[in-house]
Amino acid sequence: MNFFLSYLAIAEIYALASMSTNLLVGVTGIFSVSQGAIFGIGAYTVGILTLNDWASFPVAMAAALILCALTNLAVALPALRIAGDYFVVTSFGIQIAATAVFMNLTDITGGASGLAGVPPPNVFGRDLDEPGAFILLSSIVLAAAALFFWLVLRSPFGRLINAIREDELAVTAAGKSVLAAKVGVSALSGMFVGLAGGLYAGFLSFIDPGSFDIDASILLLTMIVVGGARTLAGSLIGPALLTALPQVLSVLPIPSDAAGPLRQILYGLMLIAFMLFRPQGIAGRRL
Amino acid sequence: MSGPYLDVTGVSKRFGGLQALDDCSFAIEPGQITCLVGPNGAGKTSVFNVITGFIRPDAGQVRFRGQVLTRMGSRRIVGLGICRSFQNLRLFADLSVLDNVTVYLPSRTDENPFRPILRPIRTEIERKRRMAAAMSILEEVGLAHRARDAVRNLSYGEQKLLCVARLMASGAELLLLDEPTSGLSAQALEAMIALVLRLKAAGRTFLVVEHNTRIVQRLADSVVFLHQGHVLAQGEPAAIVADPKLGEIYFGGAL
Ligand SMILES: Nc1ncnc2c1ncn2[C@@H]1O[C@H](COP(=O)(O)OP(=O)(O)O)[C@@H](O)[C@H]1O
Ligand SMILES: [Mg+2]
Repeated sequence: MNFFLSYLAIAEIYALASMSTNLLVGVTGIFSVSQGAIFGIGAYTVGILTLNDWASFPVAMAAALILCALTNLAVALPALRIAGDYFVVTSFGIQIAATAVFMNLTDITGGASGLAGVPPPNVFGRDLDEPGAFILLSSIVLAAAALFFWLVLRSPFGRLINAIREDELAVTAAGKSVLAAKVGVSALSGMFVGLAGGLYAGFLSFIDPGSFDIDASILLLTMIVVGGARTLAGSLIGPALLTALPQVLSVLPIPSDAAGPLRQILYGLMLIAFMLFRPQGIAGRRL
Repeated sequence: MSGPYLDVTGVSKRFGGLQALDDCSFAIEPGQITCLVGPNGAGKTSVFNVITGFIRPDAGQVRFRGQVLTRMGSRRIVGLGICRSFQNLRLFADLSVLDNVTVYLPSRTDENPFRPILRPIRTEIERKRRMAAAMSILEEVGLAHRARDAVRNLSYGEQKLLCVARLMASGAELLLLDEPTSGLSAQALEAMIALVLRLKAAGRTFLVVEHNTRIVQRLADSVVFLHQGHVLAQGEPAAIVADPKLGEIYFGGAL
């Protein structure tokens, strides 16, 4: 039972992150490969603030949300003026730089060995140290985020960022600021993934740079490719399937040191297979 | 009103070794249809790009109702009431016909990214209002029955009408149409001409790039003849079309 609840909690956290990726990559067409880094900033913010008792969990979450929105904005601003392929390179650079910071700011991030003993989320005076209790919190956050995601997508702003993906010049000709909309969606997307990162730190109680590296960014992209771009269902199905994979591998008779590489290979194969045979994912639209 | 409505004076633009616009000057009167004619590569689309702020000229200026547009961004220019279409349409292919129009509706706060979260009900009301506004524009151009369709399922003629619908949505008073009739079937052509004339009767002003002299004579109140980036002549359609020198340039001596 605990096993299943843990899986569910992780899947919910990645679903939050997938909504973020979907807004940025799926809807607006800003091909970011630094989602892992922003996810990590959310996780480290909550980890550091609560571990040192500098802030309560809700305050730390709010800080993660704001910090991730601002970071996403700051890294996006110079890069958003750069079109298409160049943005991927810039965003790759940001990912590499963030990993270096997580690794080397040893005093506050714990460096390569990470941060252990992050306290469980404490809300209304209760420690959510059981998966069963945590799942209540993560489900509420996910439900609220899903509602917001749905509201944003159907709103005039949602139409605008869809149009930007299709043709920036035609949006400019409409008298709209493409840059302002991209700044807005970067901030929104940062907030979603910041929440995900904060919950991740609180749930696992241990975080290290390896969870927020380029592989993490690619995993987050794979989730929306598999689940499907631009839909709420896609943002839920992709993470649900991909976070199940390590669990399935762990019960199969595979040596534990082979499980990691095997998982990466399977992620890679899924990415290729979906791109070739089902670019719209399971429940979405073509990326 | 003081001065001319839209005034292009001495505009020049060089692309590398190519002088796309060369001391280009003409004026547009309000409520009229002005046709911009000239051979391929004459600089017609470049004129649109300069007026709408897409490219900055090397010299010269554009004034609209007395205001200098030349250093403004395209956002402000649309705000002042000028909106352009594209020769290659640039519709939002994955969006519905209706959404292609709603995106062109002006907005102050309705497109704020945080509004759907902070004021969900208000946003929903605005969304409905925008959809209704877009729908009534689609009715005007005769595309209401295709509102839910994907753009790629429209015929070419319908796609071109949709381009005009988007400009109408922008609320602009001066519409710049880049080759709105090229590639149209006879029936679609009549629909387009009727629409432009209807909009003119309703008070809108047009600058239209048009190749076909017969269509020019049906549409134009005034014709601007552009050749190698320079305006050779501006005048009544009958006079311009009848000018043998211009005909020779235009048809390469075929007239
Ligand atoms: N952005 C640009 N960069 C380089 N050359 C351009 C650009 N835009 C237009 N040109 C050139 O300027 C000339 C005029 O182009 P254009 O204004 O599109 O002509 P028209 O619309 O009358 O056919 C053409 O030779 C074209 O190749
Ligand atoms: Mg042209």
